[in-house]
Amino acid sequence: MAVKPSPTRKPLFRRNRIFTDYVPALIALVIIFWVATAIRWDFVATLQFEFLWQFRWALLQGLGITLLLTGVAMTAGLPAGFLLAAMMQSPWPPIRWLAFVYVESLRNTPLVLQLFWIHYALPSFTGYSTTVLQSGMIAMTMQSSAYLADVARTGIQAIGHGQWEAAKALGLPRRVVWMKVVLPQALKIIIPPLANIAIGYFKASAVLALLAVGDLMTVGVRIANFTFKPIETLTVVGIIYLVLGYIFSSLTYRLEALYGKSEVGR
Amino acid sequence: MNFDTRFFLEAMPLLVDGLWTTIVLVLGSLAIGIMLGLIGCYGKLLKRGPLSWLAFIYVGVFRGLPETVLIFWIYFCGPLILDVRLSPLGSGILALSAVSGAYLTEIFRSGVLALPPGQIEAARALGLSPYRRIRHVMAPQVVKIMMPTFIGFIAILIKNSALVSAIGLGELFYQAMTLSATTYKYFEIYTAVGLIYFALIFPLSALSQHIERRQRRQRS
Repeated sequence: MAVKPSPTRKPLFRRNRIFTDYVPALIALVIIFWVATAIRWDFVATLQFEFLWQFRWALLQGLGITLLLTGVAMTAGLPAGFLLAAMMQSPWPPIRWLAFVYVESLRNTPLVLQLFWIHYALPSFTGYSTTVLQSGMIAMTMQSSAYLADVARTGIQAIGHGQWEAAKALGLPRRVVWMKVVLPQALKIIIPPLANIAIGYFKASAVLALLAVGDLMTVGVRIANFTFKPIETLTVVGIIYLVLGYIFSSLTYRLEALYGKSEVGR
Repeated sequence: MNFDTRFFLEAMPLLVDGLWTTIVLVLGSLAIGIMLGLIGCYGKLLKRGPLSWLAFIYVGVFRGLPETVLIFWIYFCGPLILDVRLSPLGSGILALSAVSGAYLTEIFRSGVLALPPGQIEAARALGLSPYRRIRHVMAPQVVKIMMPTFIGFIAILIKNSALVSAIGLGELFYQAMTLSATTYKYFEIYTAVGLIYFALIFPLSALSQHIERRQRRQRS
């Protein structure tokens, strides 16, 4: 009876029981023992998570604002990203440089700094002060547009030269070429990286708690300070981020399976 | 809104102080993160056994948590549970190295998986010892493959280090916050600090892109 060769790769390391099983198990035991003795069990026994139930609406509202911020950063950032990608392909150098400076300055500074710059420094220019939530939205949208410009560019570049030439040969105006030929296909290609960036911003929005924007982390810090129960509150907030992030990323895998193999004519 | 040069010269020492703390924070958490990443990478490549389960849980948790939550958690909850006193610098390094370790695990792992399998088989067929296989065959190639991602990660780490200001560590962004809150020179200070961060991060991300482009050209 012929045995089919299995398609899986050989493991990189040959399994060595001492190094893969016994030593890690020993180290794990030592760590568990150390942690078990170091933890103040009498204090841990007094932890109670039930009290958070009365703050459920506040937490839910914070989560809503986090999701809103992520949604705004994505939906407003994507058109801006496409605009930046188009600017980078512009035949006119100053426009290219402008897009380059915008993208690089937003990508190479921390989001917190941009947030504070927009909230505190920008009003001295414009004379119009924004609320914390508006500042958060502007900061997140500006940074996401800088990252999405790259994603949009890969999407546009994936569309073959033949399509541009065909559209030109058909005499389509530039606007129609973008709206009817390039964008619909590019959008399909960039869905997986787009979803990854969205998850990244869902996490990164916790930064806005430094300005007390009102997102989930802000609410968590506020409850922790108000009730003097940081462990329960921050743990629950962390679990909410973790679980939702996990759900989103498993949805992304599904999307990738759906759209990842979509082919674009060259 | 005119730029005050004299004020700037006065503020400079404080900002330089903050810059050093930022650099210590980044290098410290990078060093610990690389060690954690190597262990995690080894664990994940095993695919079975307790070490691999630990590595899977570790990477899943620390990549899924926002860095801000982790920094707050370690600083406020660590001392309550474990009865140890953590300085802001200590908890900042702890939090950032835990996160770095999780990301570096994946970076190292993808570098190892990108290695052509023939290389390891050939090394094995030649009878090289496991140490020589790793030291002379795998490591040089893996380092080359993952270099652009690794350098890009250092840039991300510098950006994340600004979050530690939330627990009152006097690094660059914290100095900017306190200075601007006392002098009301928001525009000058945040712009200057933004330029300092840019000067730190831009060379790294440019280098990372440059290496990546060169590798792609070599491959094709």
